[in-house]
Amino acid sequence: MNMRWFFYLVLLCLPAIPAHAVSPDPKPFGPGSMKEVAVAHAGKPFILAFWSLSCAHCKANLEQFGQLLRQHPGLSLELVSTDTPEEGAAIMATLEKYGLEKLQTRVFADRFVERLQFEIDRRWRGELPRTYFYDASHQARTITGRLDATETERWISANYPQTSE
Amino acid sequence: MKPYSWGLLLTALACMPAAATAEAPRQTLEMGAKPMDMGKMWQASLARPALSSTTTFDASGRLWQATVQGGYLYVRHSDDLGKTFSALTAVNPTPERIAADGENRPKILLGSRSNIYISYTQSLDKPFSGHIRFSRSLDGGKSFSPPVTVNDNREVISHRFEAMGISPEGRLYLAWLDKRDLSVATSKGEAFIGASVYYATSDDAGASFSPNQKVADHSCECCRISMAMDKDGVPVAFWRHVYGQNTRDFALARLDGHSPSVRATHDNWQIDACPHHGGSISIGPDGVYHLVWFNNGPERHGLFYGSSPDGGKTFSVPTPFGNEDAQAGHPDVLSLGQQVFVVWKEFDGKEASVQEMHSSDGGRSWFGPGRLAATAGASDHPMLIANQDKAYLSWQTEKEGLRLIAVIQP
Repeated sequence: MNMRWFFYLVLLCLPAIPAHAVSPDPKPFGPGSMKEVAVAHAGKPFILAFWSLSCAHCKANLEQFGQLLRQHPGLSLELVSTDTPEEGAAIMATLEKYGLEKLQTRVFADRFVERLQFEIDRRWRGELPRTYFYDASHQARTITGRLDATETERWISANYPQTSE
Repeated sequence: MKPYSWGLLLTALACMPAAATAEAPRQTLEMGAKPMDMGKMWQASLARPALSSTTTFDASGRLWQATVQGGYLYVRHSDDLGKTFSALTAVNPTPERIAADGENRPKILLGSRSNIYISYTQSLDKPFSGHIRFSRSLDGGKSFSPPVTVNDNREVISHRFEAMGISPEGRLYLAWLDKRDLSVATSKGEAFIGASVYYATSDDAGASFSPNQKVADHSCECCRISMAMDKDGVPVAFWRHVYGQNTRDFALARLDGHSPSVRATHDNWQIDACPHHGGSISIGPDGVYHLVWFNNGPERHGLFYGSSPDGGKTFSVPTPFGNEDAQAGHPDVLSLGQQVFVVWKEFDGKEASVQEMHSSDGGRSWFGPGRLAATAGASDHPMLIANQDKAYLSWQTEKEGLRLIAVIQP
């Protein structure tokens, strides 16, 4: 068998590699996505966190989320990168570093960023990191910047009594 | 000590080392086992023309623009207020990663004898790293010199967000955010908050630059610097600073080699975050400093205008403007003496618009706001430029291209 045929055979086998071995691309976050996210968590608390590859302060929060998910596997966390879909590989590589690659993650997929921000929060000008702690009635506690671990734990205890000690 | 005080103390202690070493150690992690494919990211960004450009008028009313596309910085001009443009002239002979993303944009400045000066931030292989680059044309924009790097520290760290200015005598100034002091501190295992502000000058029309000089330690890391010439022809830089551990208020400094920086705002926005939202300064012939900025402190949040009549010794009470529920942001200010103009961006749920307000008494009272232009697509920050004694809005939009609009019809 020459090399070319061997290469085609390898290509044929690729779909057989388990899905979790290859990180999927982030799902696009476009107009209407905010509504979808809210509907997906209807009547339930969740954390919605915006971050970017170009934001130094975001990494500390990603690190904290990685730890939180290990302690509270039932936590609903939605991560949205405000980078571009073209940066999907870099986004996934960063998330993998913090053990967050298995989460459903999204990326801004609209250059008209103001429109996306407006659907999320009319007062958000894009400062990062930006985290929304939605309770079951979807009232949000909004935090710009680095998260306080104690405050986050307190929110989890109040909103996820079953997963906390 | 009450229990909650212990909590606060513990939280503060826990935050301190982390806050102080915010960026540098993460960079190393970034380039660890799974490095980002910066080449691929760059290729992806090349496919799109950058929205972030700069325009300026020359003495004859010709409009000049510096734009970025496909790894090249291009210069073009228009003799009919932006309706039609000349062919593009490339500045850099080989493609570079030219930062053009809102707070980072190519700069163009016109000197005497039809000299044209260009500066930009060149992105490097590591996240948050860059060099300050400069090129000039001595033949009215027909050709440009090969770009040179102005920062004399050449580590692959952040030298970014430059601002450029020229004095009436023709001395060129470049000021930027620089992490060389953070780099030194990190190598010694010491903490260093934020970045530093550095500048360089040229007295030979950009043929050579002075050694770099520090203006201040502890600037915020990712907000543009704004620069304006005072009435003595000395530039004043205005930037977001970090006071104490994480209070991100604005500072200004006269770049005369010895004036200390002064705190210009007191909004007390305490935050470990990247606002990506610099302010703007303009100084009219009367020497009054006019400032606009965004802050988001608990007591005072939104856009503000303030002025200083005495070179930064005293400041007016800040005047708020803009609709907070419409994302009011990215303000610019232009003073033409008693006439002062302010523009900013808003979004109403459908369209992004540029709003304006103006003053005819040096910023004491204001008319407006009024809506100058709108677009139903992506757009750059709005900029104000002067054509003789008229103020123009210059706004790059994805759908309509460059919008050039007289702020008050003559």
